[in-house]
Amino acid sequence: MFSIVSITGFAVLFFVIILHCLCTRQKPDKLSGEKRKCLLSLLCFECKSGFLGILRKLVYLAALLCFVVLFVTGFYQPLINGEHISGFPIMIHATAAPVFAVFIAILAVMWAGECVFDKNYWPWLTKLLQRQPKSDSKPQRYEFLLKACFWAILVLALPLILSIVLSMFKIFGTSMQELFLDVHRYTSLATAIVIILHTYLMIRSQEAK
Amino acid sequence: MATLCCLTVWPCFADDTNEVRLLGDIDDGSLAIPVHIILLYDEEGGKISPEDELTLPFSTKQTCGACHNYEIIKKGWHFNAIDPNVSAGRKAQPWIFVDAQTVTQIPLSYRKFEGVYHPGKLGISPWKFTELFGRQMPGGGPGELDTDDYDEIMRQSVSGKLEINCLSCHNADHGQDQTEYASQVALQNFRWAATAACEFASVKGSAKDMSETWDYMMPDVLDDPDKVPPTVKFNKNVFDNKNKVLFDIVRKVPVKRCYFCHSNKILAEKTSEKWMADEDVHLSAGLSCVDCHRNGLDHNIVRGYENEAKKSSNPLAKTSTCESCHTTGRLGAPVPEHLGIPVVHFTKLTCTACHSGPAPVEKAPGLKTSRAHALGTHSVNKSDEALPHITTTVLAEQDGKIAPHNLIWPAFWGSMKEEQVAPIAINIVKPLTAKVISKKSLPPSGDWPEVTSEQIKKILTLLTSELEEGVPVYICGGKLYQIDKDKLKAEEHEAAKPYLWPIAHNVRSAAQSLGAKSCGDCHSTDSAFFFGSVAVDSPLVADKGVVKQMFEFQGLDQFYTKAFAWSFMFRPWFKIVTLCSCSIISVVLLLYGLKALACITKILAGKD
Repeated sequence: MFSIVSITGFAVLFFVIILHCLCTRQKPDKLSGEKRKCLLSLLCFECKSGFLGILRKLVYLAALLCFVVLFVTGFYQPLINGEHISGFPIMIHATAAPVFAVFIAILAVMWAGECVFDKNYWPWLTKLLQRQPKSDSKPQRYEFLLKACFWAILVLALPLILSIVLSMFKIFGTSMQELFLDVHRYTSLATAIVIILHTYLMIRSQEAK
Repeated sequence: MATLCCLTVWPCFADDTNEVRLLGDIDDGSLAIPVHIILLYDEEGGKISPEDELTLPFSTKQTCGACHNYEIIKKGWHFNAIDPNVSAGRKAQPWIFVDAQTVTQIPLSYRKFEGVYHPGKLGISPWKFTELFGRQMPGGGPGELDTDDYDEIMRQSVSGKLEINCLSCHNADHGQDQTEYASQVALQNFRWAATAACEFASVKGSAKDMSETWDYMMPDVLDDPDKVPPTVKFNKNVFDNKNKVLFDIVRKVPVKRCYFCHSNKILAEKTSEKWMADEDVHLSAGLSCVDCHRNGLDHNIVRGYENEAKKSSNPLAKTSTCESCHTTGRLGAPVPEHLGIPVVHFTKLTCTACHSGPAPVEKAPGLKTSRAHALGTHSVNKSDEALPHITTTVLAEQDGKIAPHNLIWPAFWGSMKEEQVAPIAINIVKPLTAKVISKKSLPPSGDWPEVTSEQIKKILTLLTSELEEGVPVYICGGKLYQIDKDKLKAEEHEAAKPYLWPIAHNVRSAAQSLGAKSCGDCHSTDSAFFFGSVAVDSPLVADKGVVKQMFEFQGLDQFYTKAFAWSFMFRPWFKIVTLCSCSIISVVLLLYGLKALACITKILAGKD
């Protein structure tokens, strides 16, 4: 069941991404040389200057690397072989997991302030509620989705991490262990989809600048 | 008369005449045990009476068979090893032929387990097999086969056949003496064994000492006073006024009956004496062997392993596994919680891996078993070093899961042709090895004699001239030895691999199972589960002290096993780091979540 859901989920995600790419791509001759450089430079993750900016970028890249490792080790055996993760994959997965958890926590602290929904994303809603947004600046392309993905990752990270950590204590029996495993599987699937989407939107938003 | 009655009244239940259910085979629903005050019949079907001039032994086939269909019963698991059509199922304990002077210990079975050899390959006929191993068989099987060997035909007429001895299991009387049964088999008194073992008769004399022309129906008077023919004497007053005797028969076989053939002695300091070892937790809880290992008239007993139902026709096979009782609470079985055990363990391990056999220790201990070492018989060698050498609690792979096994390293002389090794008949090997290995070199403990590579080479050279085809080889210590360019060469070979059979007893209590204390019971750098040592048994002096580690039997890589064990040292840090990270994430979510909530409440209140 999990294999089917996962394969379907990833298929839909990649289909949507490809479709979006095809619908919104610009003609090659319209891209300036500068933009090509931007595209090539590590796929345009956020580029704030200063020590903190560099630190944020490094933490983000490290988290992304951990995600790739976790993704490959976590999904390969269950999806391809149809069995539990075991052997070297589980060791690598268990090594990368706490590192990923630490980076997510750091990113949560570093990015939370910027990911507040303080702009005029939907003018019709602002008008309906007769409210003025806190920030007057115009929202950038995909900004709302990026922020939504950020918060979704944080929300999903909790059950994703806790489902495994709690199963390590001698508190819960087999039925709860199975539940924790299912929670971990499906939240990891959802988290993976959201992270891939977030990464894609980051690239597209940098491209749009 | 009773027999005629039995055979005529219920033929309507039969598909064929052999499947007729007799008087005692149809269940009337009563849970009471019928009292067996019955007539005794001899081998020919004649009634036995205390007034008989010649007292003959009773035949279980005729006596018990009057009311219980013997032909159905003999198809049961304990008797059907010789039937090639019976599925062998999961590997089981083999019979082990041992001969120290030919440095042989070879697993034998009539069943087609991988890694055992058919007794015929070693030149052991069914009659000879019965003489060697009938001590701990309940009769039937090879004991009832007509011998094809011309030399044995006459001997079989003297010894008789070893019929199924129903009393071996179903006689609850304290006087049922299986040790006497074993002694009678050793004397080739097959026909008399069941009678001798029962509580109301005794047998003296030996069929082994009789000539091939001796007739038990018309025994000659012998001149030699040392040669006593087998004679039966029934105890006084055992026959009632109708010439019937009382058998204390039970349906539920007492544990002590099973123990005669199914006892084990762990060769470890802590449990070297009976009173030091704990019995199986199921028995301590009040169950008996047959509460789980059940059968009907067909005696197709439940063996109790996973997936047995796929190969067994016993309807209870599916509901008599560890899982089936311990998930439903049947017979009062506790339902385990397995707190903190990740579910992957249940796909990688059998229940027995954590719960059965002695707890894994640094060095896997030796084992003596009833069937391998004749425990409980007069001829037993009580030395811990006596052959065969069996190692217990070897955690090895079985059908994709890790399970505890007993293990034996085969040692035998064979001939190799196109990479296939077949054992050489013992009667060919024995005179040749006697020229090289003297009887004086055999230790009194029953252990291996100390054999050198030179001696092996000499024997192989002698065997070369004896073999019609194939190359002579010697298997021992996990290696195959052969002469190559006048030198003794050792190599790995399929035939040299140890024979392992899974074990399920004695089951330890939940608190004593692996993982009950912590994950470190198995997942640590010095755990016996993965890093325990298993001695490689070999008569060769050069092989003394060679060991293998448990993970080698589990199909695991050494580096992976060590790395995985080592990684568990960081488990507490893993928990701390991830819990701290979750705390930070929770605080961030809570903080901004509350801010969002405050914003929403302001909007709903209509405030700026």
